[in-house]
Amino acid sequence: MTDVVARRGFHGPSNDQAIDAIHDELDSLWEDASFVPDMDRMTFATAVIEAAANIVQHALPVAEKPVEIDVDISVRPTRLIARVSAHNAREPFADDMQASMPDSEAESGRGLALIEALVTTVTFERQDGTNTWILTRET
Amino acid sequence: MQFSYEVKDSYAEVKSVGRLNMVAAPKLREVVAEVVAGGSSRVVVNLAGTDFMDSSGLGALIGCLKAARQAGGDLRIAEVQPQVKMVLELTNMDRVLTAYPTAEDAFGDD
Repeated sequence: MTDVVARRGFHGPSNDQAIDAIHDELDSLWEDASFVPDMDRMTFATAVIEAAANIVQHALPVAEKPVEIDVDISVRPTRLIARVSAHNAREPFADDMQASMPDSEAESGRGLALIEALVTTVTFERQDGTNTWILTRET
Repeated sequence: MQFSYEVKDSYAEVKSVGRLNMVAAPKLREVVAEVVAGGSSRVVVNLAGTDFMDSSGLGALIGCLKAARQAGGDLRIAEVQPQVKMVLELTNMDRVLTAYPTAEDAFGDD
């Protein structure tokens, strides 16, 4: 795509190290896209990390092959796009797709509601054992 | 991510440095549990060095708040950076986890 200004990606096992590696990719992304305002960087990066953390914490393998996480992040002139995928993963449980904010005593369950508050659109796709979150934020 | 703590006269200050994400969240719970078990139930988490927190980090702070209150104390946060402030506001948790300008201010009026 000719209008992609900057791009970063990650592919690897779905584990703790993946979260920090994806965060490092996000930090370096802005070096190639310095025009993106701080507020957009902050909100978008938070949403991407929440989606990746959701996969690491909840995605279960569909067979013997372990779940792998794949992230493709691109900056366009007026839009940030992230595709966050879980390969070899089962379909998420309905409980893990809860998108309303829980009460103030709850210690978990805010991730998806937070993602929805942070980005312009959230799309979920499932195809051939791969769950993909597509997050976009208009800048 | 690094945590350290210092027990002061009227409270214990826990310093959190780095990304408070799903990797670091269990460590924060452990450190605050240790502080509370050691007899300091008035806890300030100093977030000056934390420029990122996700919902797991927030969940850990809520768990730590409950642990401190169960021990008869409280947990407050100080020197909150912009991204952490944003997460607290979007989740409506800024009303529960009150942010203070400095660690000294957090229990200053008690």
